Formats: sequence, structure tokens, C-alpha cells
Amino acid sequence: MTLMKKLNILSDAAKYDVACTSSGVERGGSGKGIGNCIAPGICHTFSADGRCISLLKILFTNECIFNCAYCLNNCNNDVKRAAFTPEEVCTLTMEFYRRNYIEGLFLSSGILISPNYTMDLIYQTLYQLRYVHGFHGYIHVKSIPGADPVLVEKVGFLADRMSINLELPTADSLRRLAPCKSRNTILKPMRQIQNSIDASKQELALLENRLYPGRGELAHWQETPRFVPAGQSTQMIIGATPESDFQIMSVAERLYQNFNLKRVFFSAFVNVTENSDLPALPGGPPLLREHRLYQADWLLRFYHFKVSELLSEDKPDFNIFLDPKCDWALRHLEFFPVEINRADYYTLLRVPGIGYKSASRIVKARKQSVLTFSDLKKIGVVLKRALYFITCSGRMMYNTKLEEDYICRNLMGDKTQIPREIRESGYRQLSLFDEGMIAPDSSASFQKIIGV
Amino acid sequence: MKVLICENSIDGIFSGVYRAYASRYGHNNIRLTTSDALESFELFCEYEEVPVDPECSRKVADTLRARLGQEVYYDICQAISAGETEKEQRKNMNKAEAVYKTVVLGLSMGQGFNVLNCLGNPYVARVFQLARSAGNEAHHLLGFLRFSELENGTLFSRIHPRNNVLPILAEHFVDRLPMENFIIYDENRKTAALHRKGSGYLLAAVPQADEEFMNRFSEKEQEYRQLWLEFFHSIAIEARKNPKLQRQNIPKRFWPDTVELK
Repeated sequence: MTLMKKLNILSDAAKYDVACTSSGVERGGSGKGIGNCIAPGICHTFSADGRCISLLKILFTNECIFNCAYCLNNCNNDVKRAAFTPEEVCTLTMEFYRRNYIEGLFLSSGILISPNYTMDLIYQTLYQLRYVHGFHGYIHVKSIPGADPVLVEKVGFLADRMSINLELPTADSLRRLAPCKSRNTILKPMRQIQNSIDASKQELALLENRLYPGRGELAHWQETPRFVPAGQSTQMIIGATPESDFQIMSVAERLYQNFNLKRVFFSAFVNVTENSDLPALPGGPPLLREHRLYQADWLLRFYHFKVSELLSEDKPDFNIFLDPKCDWALRHLEFFPVEINRADYYTLLRVPGIGYKSASRIVKARKQSVLTFSDLKKIGVVLKRALYFITCSGRMMYNTKLEEDYICRNLMGDKTQIPREIRESGYRQLSLFDEGMIAPDSSASFQKIIGV
Repeated sequence: MKVLICENSIDGIFSGVYRAYASRYGHNNIRLTTSDALESFELFCEYEEVPVDPECSRKVADTLRARLGQEVYYDICQAISAGETEKEQRKNMNKAEAVYKTVVLGLSMGQGFNVLNCLGNPYVARVFQLARSAGNEAHHLLGFLRFSELENGTLFSRIHPRNNVLPILAEHFVDRLPMENFIIYDENRKTAALHRKGSGYLLAAVPQADEEFMNRFSEKEQEYRQLWLEFFHSIAIEARKNPKLQRQNIPKRFWPDTVELK
């Protein structure tokens, strides 16, 4: 089989993996070899679905002994199978990287023969890449569920980020759709990676404390291998099983708190296997729902929100018409209006239309002068959303009412509430609802639209 | 009012700033403008052209670095390297004037390194806006730039940026590809960054580029381009197809210089 054909099959098989980020680690070039990393990551291009391509995202092989119902590569499926050799993966990565097509490698794999056998192949590939080819770029690797902890440890010292897919939000769903996997084979290595990251960080911190200006020690510190320096992430499939947004977000929150994950990714379910256990999605994948979950995920990670503030047992799903932050603000009008020139950073973060960057710019800028609405605009505040919730020197921008209905009606006119890409790709049904129907209890219409 | 006209470059504007200080007219009675500015001459203004003086420029740069810090200095340089369309120039304050008044404010403050946080000040806000636009484009190009391997093994890239981002890009790629010979050619400004294996880079004016040289690719080049195209097409999910989002994320003006979208 030609390299071209293999690349076609194995990138096609990898495309449902979400994480294509190259962020989280800052590493200068070594002066020899090839490659460096910058902390915010770099997107190299965007594919026809609008998703970023940053890494060469491939499976090592799509042969698999597991039979997960949602996966195209499950062992009962009749698809073309292929496998790379470690040399082929290295050549592709190096040549693409030189030409600045990619930021590094994303290597996942189906399970060939056994989890250990597969993990060892991945280890060999990474070892060659790092030590034979001198590659210092970004490597994201999937840990194979059920692989030996020793192998996981060895791979972790070569990779920048590791991830183990949670696949489905609850253990029940996992049992039903992925009988070969269990919560245990997923969470155990996740814990192991977390512990190794902590141990590696502590070792480095100790070395740093002992550091004398002597050159030998600095070199020692620099050469100490780092275990998964960009942290670990995970992903789960949204819309294949009946969990509510509240359940999904609670799982994500627990993962951030207990496993110290860097990111939790959500992937809108695309039905590729036509398995009878899975829902048919006539309206396409639930993209708007995925979008709302990511918005809420941002609120957890950068805006100090808790899931219990956004959702509850009684209100288990996000409002489709308003983003989670606006939705929260409308239900908590007692916090508003907020005075821009006095409110602390955390209060500013809660105002719709003020992001974490604008909030910190406001805090710095108001030390020098009193801020007005036109200054806010230059700082980057989205005034069309923020104006209902803020005052500058005690005045509101326009004469507005602090009333839920009034603000809601006006915010709904803001077209960015439902992102353009989703609005124009099949959510035209929205225009059928008139404003009267936008009651707080929109979960029924929500389910109709996202096709759960 | 005295108006100093300076060249639209880092050295040019810094020379202007030096001259403005040295003239002792007082900062309120003096204004800077770039020589390519679209403003008409005003009555009761005295105009003076400031020649580019590398020595003065170096003195200003040293002062900025020492008093305002490396970061502010870097941002000011980035703001100066921003390119503007005619429409933007008409609508906004002149670049040289914004930089000059920002420097004056920064040097008068107790903590000069804070100067770019004073976004309530219109001059600072303008510098901030320019620096952000140049910085964003530079960051985009770190990803969107493509190298092709020429016959002799040199990597060659052609870009058409709005802002003068070549130094930022060169710095990044020297660190990333230390053992490669590469050329990044900014066709809009006819300048190129040249890097020789294992050394630093230099910027050179290229008034007449050798088109033939730039199009003689190595044997392997076509093969890897095909592989990349294959990957690019098979990685997209058909059910999520969304050309608008794609265009929003990688604006069309970058497309001709890439391999996969041209």
C-alpha cells in the first residue's frame, strides 16, 4: 500500500478526535535538531469544516480488537484497514514540519493485537522522532486504555500532552456502547498520568530551589526530562446517549477538580456506523449544543463559575437562544448594574460582553484615568451586550430598564448569540418561533432542535 | 504649532521623537507626522522634515528600553511596523504622533512600564490598536506561512503581509529551524529574510527577485505537497462542513500563499 493511501485511510479514521491544540508548553529551539513550541499554540490551517489543523492528526493503525458502537473502526465494521510503520510516521512528521504545514504530531491508534503491543509501537515511534530525528516540536499522544503503566510512563516522558478519552459521560452509557472499555481502564491511567505530572513538577521545583549560578546545575535542570509538560486532556461524545447538559458539565467540572485536566473536549456525535443502539440525527450533529457546552467550559476555566450556578436538576439544559453567561446574568439581575470604575476583577468577569482580557485591561487602565464608554469600546468590551449591565461613573450608556424581559428581548436581537456558522448551517427553524415562545423552559423545543 | 515630518519606519519615527525633544518647543506645541500621511498642509503651522539619523534613533531606543522596559519597547516597534490602508489612515490618528505622545507620557510617569495600560489615553489606545493588529497578523503567519524546498535544499517562502512582520517571523523560524537554510520573501515590501544553517538571519532588500530560481523545486517537493493535500481533505468531517467558518478563521487574503487553499 502506498504512503498516500495509508495517509488517506488513517487520517480519515482520526478525524473524529477533537483535540488539535498545540498549546500549553513553551520550549525554545535547541540550536540543533528541529522544532520549538510556543505556549499559545499555532493553528496552521483550517479544514473545510472550519476546524483548526495544528497537528498531523493520524491513527497509527485503524485495526482494532474493540467493538465500540459509535466508532467507525470497530472490529465488526467493514472498512479498509491500514497501519503505518514508525519510520513512515517520522518521515511524514519531519517533512511536514519543515515546510511549516504542522505544529507537531497527534498520534492515536486502534488496538492492534493487544493494548500493550499498540502502546509499544507508539513508544517506538516517539522515541525515534525525539532521539533519531531530533524533533523538539509538539507531540500529543493518546494513551491506549488497558496499556501497562510502565509503558504509559515511558511514553509520557516523550510526549507534550497525553489524553485518554472518557468517550461517554456516564459509566452506564460506556458499558452499553463500548463493552470492551470500562470506567476503570480509563480513570486509572488518568490518575497515573496526573500523579506523574505532579511528581515531575516537584522534582523540577526542587532542582530550581537548589540552583546555584554554577553552569553544571543549570544544564542539569534543563536536561531533566519533563513528564507531559502540556498536561492531559480528555474528550467525550455529546448526543449519542441521553445525558443532560447538567450531567455532562458536572463530569467535566469533577475532571478539572479531581484530575487536574488541562482541557475537556466535547464532540458532537456524528452517526457513522448506523448501529441500532445509536440515535439517528436527521438534523445533523448537535453543533449548537456542543457550542453551548464549550462556552460553559470557558466559564468554568477562566471566569470562576461553578456548574451549580449555571445549571441545576430542575434546569438541566442550556438555553439555546442565549449563551450561558447572559442566561446567568438575566437570572441574577440583583448583581447589576456593575460600576466599571470600582468593581473588582471577579465581578467584572461576570458581566456579559466583558471577557477576561478586557476585564484585566479595565483593572489596569482605570488606575490611570476614569473610564468612559468610548474607552471601553477601545479596550475591547462588547458594548451591545454589556450596556444593560454596567455603569461608568454612575451612568448607564443609554436609558435602559433593568428588567429580565426587556434585556432578554434586546439580547435576542444580537445575532452573535447563535453563532453564524450554526445559524446558517441548518438552524433556520429558529425563525419559526416567535418571541413569546422564548420562555425560560425551552428544553422541549431545545430537544426538538438538537434532535435528541 | 510645529510639525515634524518623518519617514515611516522605526528609525524615521525615533529620529522624529529625538528631534522633537531636542528642539525644546514643548510637547504641546509640536506634532509628528509620517511623510506618507494623507493630511493637507495647515495654515499657521511650520513644517520641517526630519532626516533619518541612526544615531538619534539608537539613543531613543536605548532610552525606551531602559525607562519603559523591553516589553513596551517591543510593542511600540510593533505598532510602527503596522501597515495601514488609506481609509484607516484617514480615519485614525497618525502613527508617528501616537508613538511620540505615548513616549512623552511614558517618560513622565513614575512607572513607565505601565504606559501601555493607560488605555483611557487616546494616543496610547492608538499605539495599542496598531501593535495588536500587527501582532495578530504575525501570529497568523507563524502558522499560515508555507515553505517549499528548492532544488538546492533551501526552504523558500513567499508572503504578502499587510504589516511589516518579517523580523518577527524570521526570529521565530531561526529558533525553530536552526539547521535549515531558508528564505522568507515579503513580496509587498520587496524584502527577504535570509538564514544560513547554524547562524543568525539578515534582512535584505530584493528589488528584483529571480522568479526562475524561486520556482525550481526539488524532486520530493511535489510528492509532499500531494500528501499534505490528501491529509487536508480527508481530515475534514463532511457532516460538519462549514465554509463560512473556515473563511472566518483563515481569511481569504492568506489563501494564495498556502499549498492547500490556493
